[in-house]
This record gives sequence, C-alpha cells and structure tokens, in this order.
Amino acid sequence: MSTANENTADGTPVEAGDLRPHFHQELAALEVQALGGLDLVLEQLDRTLEALAHQDVSLARMVIADDDRIDGRYLEIHQGILSLLARQTPVAGDLRLVASLLHLIMHVERMGDQCVNIAKLIPLSGHEPPVRRDVLELLGTMGSLTRAEVAHCKVAFQERDLPAAIDLIRQDGEINTLNREIFKAALAAGEDPDTREWATYMVLVARAIERIADNAVDIGEQVAFVVTGLFQEFSDTYRPAIRTGMQA
Amino acid sequence: MDTSQPEADASGAPPLAPLAITTREGPPTTATEVVFELRDLGVYYGRTLAVDGVSMKVYKNVITAMIGPSGCGKSTVVRTLNRMNDSVPGFRVTGEALYHDNDIYGPGVDPVEVRRRIGMVFQRPNPFPKSIYDNVAWAPRILGMKSGLDERVEKALRGAALWDEVKDRLKGSALGLSGGQQQRLCIARSIAIEPDVLLLDEPCSALDPIATASVEELMQDLKRTYTLVIVTHNMQQAARVAERTAFFSLDVSNGRRAGVLIEYDDTEKLFTRPNDKRTEDYVTGRFG
Repeated sequence: MSTANENTADGTPVEAGDLRPHFHQELAALEVQALGGLDLVLEQLDRTLEALAHQDVSLARMVIADDDRIDGRYLEIHQGILSLLARQTPVAGDLRLVASLLHLIMHVERMGDQCVNIAKLIPLSGHEPPVRRDVLELLGTMGSLTRAEVAHCKVAFQERDLPAAIDLIRQDGEINTLNREIFKAALAAGEDPDTREWATYMVLVARAIERIADNAVDIGEQVAFVVTGLFQEFSDTYRPAIRTGMQA
Repeated sequence: MDTSQPEADASGAPPLAPLAITTREGPPTTATEVVFELRDLGVYYGRTLAVDGVSMKVYKNVITAMIGPSGCGKSTVVRTLNRMNDSVPGFRVTGEALYHDNDIYGPGVDPVEVRRRIGMVFQRPNPFPKSIYDNVAWAPRILGMKSGLDERVEKALRGAALWDEVKDRLKGSALGLSGGQQQRLCIARSIAIEPDVLLLDEPCSALDPIATASVEELMQDLKRTYTLVIVTHNMQQAARVAERTAFFSLDVSNGRRAGVLIEYDDTEKLFTRPNDKRTEDYVTGRFG
C-alpha cells in the first residue's frame, strides 16, 4: 500500500489510498502516450495543409514518409493495452479507459492515413496545377477548423470534459458544410479539363479532411464512454438542435 | 437506441434535443424466481452490530457472488442464510431473512431442515477421515435416504465432476485426494441430499489455479440445478463465475463498524460501470 507522501519515478505523487499504484501509473503513462499520438497527427496535418496551400510536392512526400511514426505509435499503444489487459485485469473506470484508448489510437492511425491520402493527391495535378484560389481558401478554412477540432478532442479526453466532447458535433457540422461548398465550387470550376481535374482532386482532399474531423468526433464519443460508462453515438440526431444554439 | 426527432415548437424552431445519453445496456437478469429475500437484515454478535440494513434478493439458478474487504460482513450474511451462526454466542438477527417467503429465523423452524435444503461448502476442504463413498453417503444415511444409495453416491460424484477420477477407488480414503478433488468431494457431499441452494464460503482460496478452474467450471454446471451463493475475496473469480454480484463494505461512520451492502447488480455492470464510487474504488484497487 502506498502512503500519501510517496512519489513515482518521475516525481508525481501517488494518489493516497491507491492499492495498485504501479498499474495506475502504467495506465496513466499509456494515456499520455496515446494522446501524444494526436500531437503527431496535428504535426502531420499542419504540414499537409501547408503542402496543400502551396501545392508543395516535396513537403507532401515528407508527410507520406512520416506516417510511419504514427503507425509506430499505434503499435506501441496496442501492445501496451494488450499487456495491461493480460497482466492487470483492469475493471470499471480503468477498464473503460483501456477500451477507449484502443479506440482512440485507432482513430489516430486513421487520421494519419488521411493525411497521407491528401499528400498523395497533391502531386497528381503536376507541379504547377491550375489552382482556383476560392477552392484553396475553402480548403484552408476547413483545414484550420479541423485542426482545432483535433486539438479540442485531445483536451476533452484529457480533462474528461463531456460538454467539450459534445461540442465537437457543432464544430464538425461547420466542417461538413464547408465540404459541401467545396464540392459546389469544384463543379463550378469551369470547362478547362486541367482545372476540372485539379478541382476533382481537391474534392477528394476535402473528403479526407472531413474524415479526420469525423475521427475527432469519434474520440469525443470515447470521452462520453469513459465519463458516463455508456456508449453515446453522437449521431446526426443531435446536430440540428446543436445548430440552433443548444449549449452542451 | 432512441433516434426520434423532437417536435417543433410554436416558433418553428425545433426544441433542444434532449441530452439524455443513449444507452446500450445488456439484457437484464432474466431470473425472476426469488430464493432468498433479505429485508433490512441486521446481525449482532452480542452488543456488536456486525451487519446492518442489508436488503437484497437472491434468484433461483443464478450464481450470486458476495465480495468486499475483510470484516465487511459478507461471510456473516452468507452463514446467516442457513443458520450456521446459531452456535455463535450472542448471535441474533434483526429484520427479515426469507427463504421462499418463509422466515429462516421464524418460530418452529428446524435449523437442521434449513441446512438440509441449503448446503454449504467451506474455505478449506474438510472431508471426513473416511472413504470417498462414506463421505458422500454420510448425510443420506443420517437422513434415512438409504434406498438406492450407490446410485445416489454416483450421481452426486458425477454432479461434482469427480466420478471419473474416483470411481475405481471409492473405498479409498478421502484424505488421499488432492485439494481440488477434496473440495469437489465436499460439494458432492453437499449435493448428495439434493439441496435447493449451495452456499460456498471462499471455496477456492485454498486451491491452486487448476483446482480453482475445475471448481469454477463445476459451479457453471451446478447452477442449472441449484442456486449458488459464493463469498469470495477474489474479485476476478466473482467476475468469472457470477451473474449477480453484491459488494459489501465496512461502514465506520458515527463511531460504529458495521458491514453494509453498498451495491448489488449484474456482475458485468458492477465491473464495468459501478454506480457507487465506493464500489469503483474497491474494484479498481483505490480502496485505501
């Protein structure tokens, strides 16, 4: 048994009355590591959006190469969770956290893959594609909102903040609207075949960004699960009401 | 899941969607026939209140586990169910302990008859220093169930998943069996008189993991015929074998130290989403 004055190896105090401090430290470290995966996603997303804004093929290649780091993080967390399940038999809130981390890291891995998907689309139109500024601006806005949503879902998870998690639905609604606008803008991109080709690729890019935002909402659902113990699908049902100003 | 849309109000704007959290709960326990009903049960040893205010129902053909820290009263409660505490000086109960709606402590109730219907298996295997056969045949002989004794012994040993291991040495000493076999022999001895309920007080704490697994498997078979109540220190054992789990704890408020029932629910619920913070703290090891 631990006393209130005991510290862990890194100096953080052990919770008083905790009979399983090593397990709980291990679980906490695994959470930090998994949430760190979202930081890796943010780095990748920043470079992806920059490569997109400047149609920078070299930067896009770096994004593709760096996806291995996110995949590696996925494997580490996956192994860590298996190990905890095998050795520590987590239950109740601990069990919910372990299960949610498995979901979270899967969403991290998928967000990383979407960055790669976008990066692969950038060089397809050649080095000097006939860009449409209005489409790129819409994509830029969509990208920064999505970045904010990913950062937001991380904080919501860290803080076990259910209202913040539910607010992800509102944020996601804006991104979905932009996705549809980009589709319309691409349709109106004119008759020039090269421009149409480029605009079509940008529709695919918008779709990939939109999927990243969806993954952030899915992480929000995991926050709800950890906090309440109930799986709550943030389904479309809630979206209209939230647009009318419902506060979580 | 309820996905119905709220209706629009007079202003035309849809009202706020309820933020009620949609649930995906498992099916409720299907058992409905109550074997034991405890109503505000209190147990005293002399002037000491050992257990206070326990109200719960135990259902037929269900394995019910009782967990909790040492001194929380779980063994006291389970021993109260078949009057095993009667011989403890100063023992008395308050409230009601009903067995099929009959008061276990009612006037005129014969404790021997109670124990015939409600068998018990203890922490340490305690076979008599007799043959395997005589251990199982002992209670039926005492109770005058002498016809078809061989068949009765075989049925009990088969029921306890021990027959194949001992059928060739029924006249051999029960003390020559391994710990796990001895415990299963004690279970066979209990079921030889075809009780209604089996109470198991820490039945595996003196057994190795393989013997533990065999007893746990046996419990799954036995629950088709019997109602089982198991007291265990091993939370994972409760999680593995029981459909319902009761968490007891020690209430030290107002200068007293009495065992109380904190939470009683489907086992899966108790170990994934307990309602009470004290349960959460105990099962996750934050009980200090």
